Amino acid sequence: MIARPGPVLYALSESDLRARYGRGRIRLVKWLLDPFALVGVYLILISFLVNRPGPAPGLSLACAVIPFQLLMSSIISALTAVNRRKAIILNMRFRRELIPAAAVATEVVAFAASLILLVVMMAVYRVAPTVYALWLPVAIAVTIALSLACAYPACLLGIWFPDLRNFVISFVRAIFFISPALIALDRIHGTARTLVKLNPLSGVFESYRSALLYGHTPAAWELLYPLAWAIGLAIVFGLIFRIEQRQLAKVLE
Amino acid sequence: MSASVRAEAVGIRFLFDRHQRFVTPAIARLRKGVTEVWGVRGVDLALEPGRAIALIGPSGAGKTTLLRTIAGVLDPDEGRIAVEGRIGALLSVEAALTPALTGRENGNLLTALAGFPRRGTDGILEEIKRRSGLGPAFERPVGSYSQGMYARLGLAAVQQAEPTVLLLDEVHEALDHEYRLVLEEFAGAIVGRGGIVVAAGQDHELLARFCHEAILFENGSVRLAGPFEDVRRVSDA
Repeated sequence: MIARPGPVLYALSESDLRARYGRGRIRLVKWLLDPFALVGVYLILISFLVNRPGPAPGLSLACAVIPFQLLMSSIISALTAVNRRKAIILNMRFRRELIPAAAVATEVVAFAASLILLVVMMAVYRVAPTVYALWLPVAIAVTIALSLACAYPACLLGIWFPDLRNFVISFVRAIFFISPALIALDRIHGTARTLVKLNPLSGVFESYRSALLYGHTPAAWELLYPLAWAIGLAIVFGLIFRIEQRQLAKVLE
Repeated sequence: MSASVRAEAVGIRFLFDRHQRFVTPAIARLRKGVTEVWGVRGVDLALEPGRAIALIGPSGAGKTTLLRTIAGVLDPDEGRIAVEGRIGALLSVEAALTPALTGRENGNLLTALAGFPRRGTDGILEEIKRRSGLGPAFERPVGSYSQGMYARLGLAAVQQAEPTVLLLDEVHEALDHEYRLVLEEFAGAIVGRGGIVVAAGQDHELLARFCHEAILFENGSVRLAGPFEDVRRVSDA
């Protein structure tokens, strides 16, 4: 008997969350403080100490750093996900193709707490929410889809080339820096703008800014282009993972 | 109780690169100097209900690989295997337990992976706690457990799943005297109800208590199969 995917995904993520945040009331405090420790200090530094051009620079940066944090932590978690599940993989049959998905589900819970930072930054810069903030759930859904799609190649890389884990992390960081993360897209011109728009993260970051900072509907490309990347990656690497998951127990022996 | 295990010419292949690291077949195609080692090859097996079989042989002979193949952890690279029945497996001392989680949390995870519905889990977990005899330690992370405690918790979780095919790999050797008796009784009950027990280990005295037949493995192949004492005599020679 193989358990249904929903309960398995839930159980795997729940176990990850318990291992990460512990037990009892303190886990709620840890969950809320985690994003502040990760990126909150950096955002506050930018907002209050560094004089940067553009409207609400701290909020603009938060619109990039926070979704990127989900992508990055999903990839880091997926790189080692198979090793973390070693005891189970070597002992019983279950839906191993859910391992990367469970890693992302765990990170999504952590990511939910970091959304508070967006509210904090809006308050700091006195940016009132508009009706266009209703696009935020769509932007979040695209971020999750892209993170999920990236988790499968990350998990495979962790299996195939475990020595390259640090390189993969540096590579993803580099992709962040060649996106409109630190400088908003409307301040980039010419060929550089065209090239930066090819980065799927550009659309994600700009969609958060459209919804929360600029107060208008995100352009179609901002949502559809990263979504197309997510679908493409999911199809290709999802299929490869389905084949390679047969080898997981051998990798771990 | 319906249970059977049938293997036809089963082979499990491991591929290694120049640095003797395992590589998957997909990556092996891209690399030079890949060598292959068969964990087991050409293994035929037909286990009928009500049988308890010991797998014996030196370390690296293929016993664990075969048990993992029966458990569905490894998929055959050659041949085919068909298992009928509910599998309960203790294939390592860690027994599928995650060190960072408590006994209860591990029980929760394993029951979900085994397909138990979430409703009613509390009762199942209390039963696992009682069977494991861990007392307050059940609420502690299992990373703080001794090997014997790991094995007891693993055994209790497997008992709760009520398997018809029980697979054991040296885990029973980590159990103390009291829980070895529990395991023997449990294995006997499964066989008595028409289930199947397959156990591998180096403690032949212990295996002899609940296995009537044995298979001697050498270099990934079956060298001899038959009544336990006959096979053991050849193995010890």
